[in-house]
Amino acid sequence: MRTTRAPRARLGAAAVLVAAGLAACAGGDDGGTPVINLYGAASAAGFDQIIDACNEEAEGRYKIVGNLLPSDADGQREQLVRRLAAHDDGMDVMSTDVTWTAEFAEAGWIKELDEEQTRLASEDTLQPTLDTATWKDKLYGIPKHTNVQLLWYRKSLVPNPPKTWDEMFEMAQKLKDEGQPYEIGVTAARYEGYVVTFNTILSTYGGTLVNEDSTEPTVDENTVKSLALIKRLADSGLASASLSNAQEPEVFASMQQGKAAFIINWPYVLSAMRAAGETDENSKKIADDLGFATYPSVEEGKPPRVTLGGANFTISEFSKHPDLAFEAAMCMRTPEHQLMHAINAGEPPVAESVYEEPEFQEAYPQYQVMLAELQTAVPRPVTPLYQNISTIVSSLLSPPKGIDPESTSEDLRDGIQDALDGKGILP
Amino acid sequence: MSTIETPRRKAAWAAVDLVVLLYALVPVVWIVSLSLKTDGTLNDGNFFPRAITWDAYDQIFNNDDFLRALLNSIGICLISTFVALILGTMAAYAIARLDFPGKRSIVGISLLIAMFPQIALVTPLFRIETAIGIFDTWLGLIIPYITFALPLAIYTLSAFFREIPWELEKAAKMDGATPFQAFRKVIAPLALPGVFTTAILVFISCWNDFLFAISLTSSSNARTVPAALSYFTGATTFEKPTAAIAAGAVVITIPIILFVLFFQRRIVAGLTSGAVKG
Amino acid sequence: MTSTLPPQASAEAEAQVARQRFTEGQRAERKLGLLLCAPAVIVMLAVCAYPILYAIYLSFFRADLRTPDANEFIGFDNYVTVLSSGLWWNAFGVTMFITVVSTIVELVLGMALAVVMHRTIVGRGLVRTAALVPYAIVTVVAAFSWRFAWTQDLGWLAGDNAPLTEQWSSLWIIILSEVWKTTPFMALLLMAGLALVPEDLLKAASMDGANAWQRFIKVTVPLIKPSILVALLFRALDAFRIFDNIFVLTSGANDTSSVSVIAYNNLIRGLNLGIGSTMSVLIFLSIAIIAFVFIKLFGAAAPGASEEKR
Repeated sequence: MRTTRAPRARLGAAAVLVAAGLAACAGGDDGGTPVINLYGAASAAGFDQIIDACNEEAEGRYKIVGNLLPSDADGQREQLVRRLAAHDDGMDVMSTDVTWTAEFAEAGWIKELDEEQTRLASEDTLQPTLDTATWKDKLYGIPKHTNVQLLWYRKSLVPNPPKTWDEMFEMAQKLKDEGQPYEIGVTAARYEGYVVTFNTILSTYGGTLVNEDSTEPTVDENTVKSLALIKRLADSGLASASLSNAQEPEVFASMQQGKAAFIINWPYVLSAMRAAGETDENSKKIADDLGFATYPSVEEGKPPRVTLGGANFTISEFSKHPDLAFEAAMCMRTPEHQLMHAINAGEPPVAESVYEEPEFQEAYPQYQVMLAELQTAVPRPVTPLYQNISTIVSSLLSPPKGIDPESTSEDLRDGIQDALDGKGILP
Repeated sequence: MSTIETPRRKAAWAAVDLVVLLYALVPVVWIVSLSLKTDGTLNDGNFFPRAITWDAYDQIFNNDDFLRALLNSIGICLISTFVALILGTMAAYAIARLDFPGKRSIVGISLLIAMFPQIALVTPLFRIETAIGIFDTWLGLIIPYITFALPLAIYTLSAFFREIPWELEKAAKMDGATPFQAFRKVIAPLALPGVFTTAILVFISCWNDFLFAISLTSSSNARTVPAALSYFTGATTFEKPTAAIAAGAVVITIPIILFVLFFQRRIVAGLTSGAVKG
Repeated sequence: MTSTLPPQASAEAEAQVARQRFTEGQRAERKLGLLLCAPAVIVMLAVCAYPILYAIYLSFFRADLRTPDANEFIGFDNYVTVLSSGLWWNAFGVTMFITVVSTIVELVLGMALAVVMHRTIVGRGLVRTAALVPYAIVTVVAAFSWRFAWTQDLGWLAGDNAPLTEQWSSLWIIILSEVWKTTPFMALLLMAGLALVPEDLLKAASMDGANAWQRFIKVTVPLIKPSILVALLFRALDAFRIFDNIFVLTSGANDTSSVSVIAYNNLIRGLNLGIGSTMSVLIFLSIAIIAFVFIKLFGAAAPGASEEKR
């Protein structure tokens, strides 16, 4: 699937960037060429090639310098927020997680795009990804890459992938009775990935967590149904015993270990399993047996509405060169560069046209499933208080076994209302 | 106590030593094992790797950012430890030996600083450092490291200093030495075990600090290893670079072992010179 | 000594001269004391005074990092909010439990380790160095390796169980990981204390017929009391602020949050400076009480206590 793939971590590329950053950081803009400091994204595999290409294309109008951020999203946000709150002018373009847009926009930390910029950023860009960059009908970010989870299953065990959760439970139960691998793997630890799981199920039922102005929670029968589904999974005996501590690596491992017949996970599963297969016979067998399908729905005929991952480029309000920063950001996500990025770092493109590229289709055989999911995908609640709400949701729903659909949804309503009102404390 | 080293006693001690070694090292071997496992066998749950690969070490040693961080860690921690020890020794001597007003408040202040949750201090510190221009520099980490090492240093050192037979100091004073001379010539050598113990503790606490390292740096100018480890990325977003992080942790433990081995001798040396006191 | 009366007797004059000399000596001592402490105190105050006072100040405000202009003085409301929250008290209970259990276990294990490191007659350098290795491993990585080891299928310790998904087994794993990592800290401090116990005292006790245990309890422990206090004090301070281990092992799931994890979630993730600072002050106060109790318990062994009375 990949032409080149570093065994586990790409560190060398990052180092080159930093070395370049050192030289540039100290001097800032001297020498005439304005420096555009990029924070985040830069450590992704192969991103230095994209930066180099853009710098060459800029012909001296600007020079992008890649700066590293921690690899986990919380760590990235912590760094960015601290510096933005201090009105630090050393950051120009940031790679911001799709869930931060409203928060950063409302705090006045990122620039609203003007009409022309909005037009440019929206061209050949999937609408749902634009929604993640929008706050109060204004575009604040340039979609950089996106992500959607899908269903991965063992082809040898499951001839026809399940279309709904009901079917999946049935098949898993049957496999269990037959003494075959049967587990259903889902991220349900107390962290952001659990909110992704919950948000997908809730949206598929047609529900939301907060209303459009993010003034009050929208807890209704859809919330109860979604909670009931998660509870059912936890109690079914079909999930891994580690369900309440499962993040992406654990879910991946349950498939790799031959325990799971179904897992819900991001597109990286295929490439990662193939890479593992290079050094391990078992992993190779699993990789060859790996099938993919659309995220299971909650009922027949109702397409799933999958939660969007990914990140946007945003321009710091305190940037000294906001226009050049925009230009640089646009260059780093041209369809051509999105394709490179998707292939090198496993981050799916936001431009619909890239999904038609043969090179992309070869690297992502699951492209059709992804594209279909992307057309109807949903963002997580767009609200400046998203982090608080996410913290509350993941803790109230944890552990999955402890859910009581009725009372947990009441707790959700109270907890989210308190968060929106700035009352109470976060768990 | 000098006891006769019979073979049986030796064997008994060897058995006890073995227990200590197992306690200390089994979890470390697990980390080493994680650093050596291949992509395919990482998740297999075996204590020892079934297949060994040095890829992770290859990667971190070909990573200039990591090597620079290693250099930063060594420099910043050595300087911080050195300065904190000097300041701490001076203050601890005064607290253990001299009578002066405000002694209790000094002890109180240092304890207070050791007690306050550091996450609440990071953001104000960040603002101070950006305002005076030491953000993302060695100095910007050395100063907080000294500060937060001082309480431990002062407490440990004054506890040791109080155990020292100060009659010797009086004797030196009678011979005409000033209080400072008495401190430097007579007491300091006796205090060595305590000083080196403190050195090890202070050094390790700097070496392991993550909070300040991540909050007060933004480039490889001053970023230390624990922070650099959190910048490692997997092949894709959702893959953890487990082996590389484990390898990094193994590699940065080695300087500490060398540091401890070095000071180990000093503690023993301190003991022998201390024996003279009796 | 401000008397202007002429000396009436030579004896009195002599006494006065002696007293003057004494005060001069005392003044020199005071000066030296302050001079020796000044650099440390100046550094500590310069770095910490403002951040600490600022955190205390913020705890009386409704303050959000995202809206710096909307700070509003609300008196003790934040304290009421935190102290009336079940979440806080649950975390407080968990933190106290971890602190008490791990500190006691560490003291016992640390003392045993210290004695071995101090007394062993074979491979002393090896033992002393190896015993310190756990303390030297970066906490987050150590915690991550424990998480890996205790995860079903991934780790060699878990087997077919998933201990990190239950409250009690999680707490014990958190304590194990904390104890493993920080016992060497205890041991090193105690060992340095043991190094100062005069051999002849032990010999004398031995000749008086005391066995090894009696010698240890009657001679060694009282002598190394100051080291024990410092080790216990600093371990308890750190244990009460436990963060990394919990954050990595369970992220606070199944009611395993500590007060620091909650403070982090409010202050750093939630950007709620008011509540976050309030929690920090409360953590600080709790630790201050613990420290106060320790210092009272150990009385004159505390640094700065009137040691002349010893």
